[in-house]
Amino acid sequence: MRVAYKIILSVLLLVASACTKPTEDIKIIVDTNIIKYTALIHVTDGATGGIAPAGAQIKISGGAAQQVYELSGKKDIHLTAGTVTIGLGPDVHPAANQPISITVEISAAGYKTVSQQVTFTANQLQQIINIGLIKTGSNQEPVSLPPPTVYMPVSLNFTGTCASRNNLQIRPSVYVFFKETGSGMPFQYLGYVDKGDITTSYLALGKTYDFQITYGGESHQVRQKIEQASYNLTIDMGNACNNF
Amino acid sequence: MRFSTIIFLTLLLFCQYTKAQLTEGYNSSLSHKKQVTLNIGSQGAGAEFGYGIVPRAAARLGANFIPVTAYNVYRVTGFNSTSKASAKFNNIHLLGDFIPFKTHSGFRLVGGVAYFFKASGDLTIIPSEHYTYGDIELSEEQVGTVTASADWGGIAPYLGLGLANLFPTGHFNINFDLGTYYLGKPKARMVGTGILESNASQTGQFQTNINNYRFMPVLQLNFNYKL
Repeated sequence: MRVAYKIILSVLLLVASACTKPTEDIKIIVDTNIIKYTALIHVTDGATGGIAPAGAQIKISGGAAQQVYELSGKKDIHLTAGTVTIGLGPDVHPAANQPISITVEISAAGYKTVSQQVTFTANQLQQIINIGLIKTGSNQEPVSLPPPTVYMPVSLNFTGTCASRNNLQIRPSVYVFFKETGSGMPFQYLGYVDKGDITTSYLALGKTYDFQITYGGESHQVRQKIEQASYNLTIDMGNACNNF
Repeated sequence: MRFSTIIFLTLLLFCQYTKAQLTEGYNSSLSHKKQVTLNIGSQGAGAEFGYGIVPRAAARLGANFIPVTAYNVYRVTGFNSTSKASAKFNNIHLLGDFIPFKTHSGFRLVGGVAYFFKASGDLTIIPSEHYTYGDIELSEEQVGTVTASADWGGIAPYLGLGLANLFPTGHFNINFDLGTYYLGKPKARMVGTGILESNASQTGQFQTNINNYRFMPVLQLNFNYKL
């Protein structure tokens, strides 16, 4: 019977050898494109085109104000480093002949208050509203920075990670800003990241850039030297992870 | 009586029965013997027809089915969700039994082949009800689900052991099969909907993880009736 036992043992070992965990390195990936119709509110100091004055406030008003959320789905809307992304709740869709409008009011101590209408239309999912604040008493027109230089296209894939939840990944659908590391320049708008992906022509080979997204009232940054045509970039999403 | 006690007694009976059958001498030819079998085990429930071809070899033709669905067998840590797992393994098979030792007619080598017209497993992760995104409560459709599927359909060889006499000496007996099918290379797929749509990008990783899942162990109890 020793032969029989050996055969049984061999069969069992053969079966056991296949036992790799099927969920090894599998994550739960969550998209943030819940709010489809969005507007990036980008506030700058109108005199320089640089970072928004400290303490700049945003107020949303109008008939549809109750249907507007920050990109993370929160009703608490405030500027972070001069930017915030707002949008319509997921159940609200502007009809082709019936756009939805709100008024955005930006104020800061010592600066003129600016009110601007933001209109969500059926055929435009993303829009950028640039607002330059001018000091009270000044007649200067807000300056706007020249568009970035165009280079060869570079593809970036952003993945949001959560330090406290290793099995969760976030595919951000957000507006992303960039600046050359150490340049002393303010962050400039790079483009819209759709489910983590963006292709841009604003990055020069051999240079290092800081990329910044603002989500849920927090800014998250990642740095990358550009030496090839595509990169996978990982951003620690911090407290935003609690949103999922 | 505790469940573990029942299992222990069942195993004890199994061992005693098998030992008695294994050591029983080879006292009659298998030739032209016929039986029908109902079975239950790791490859589900099924039925077979057995026929003795030569004195020490017989063939079995049969089919087995597993339709299993289970809930909450898998938990995603830190993600408020439930899960639903289902497995469907349906096959028709042709097996050959050979008695290698004359003095141990209850010990058989078994080989053969099966055609799995269905061999698939699915695991669906379903986020919990009242899933909120910030201050927004999302509908089930907006949240969506993640489903990981694997499909092994096709032809699979079988190798195993048969324990206890193949054919009843009276009208009825019980015997056992212990072995494994070697399934085809699985085809993996991950599908997401709603805010979980991007999980489809993990199909490649899932495929790598299950590439070696090709052995389908068979531990089966057969109830045979002599024709």
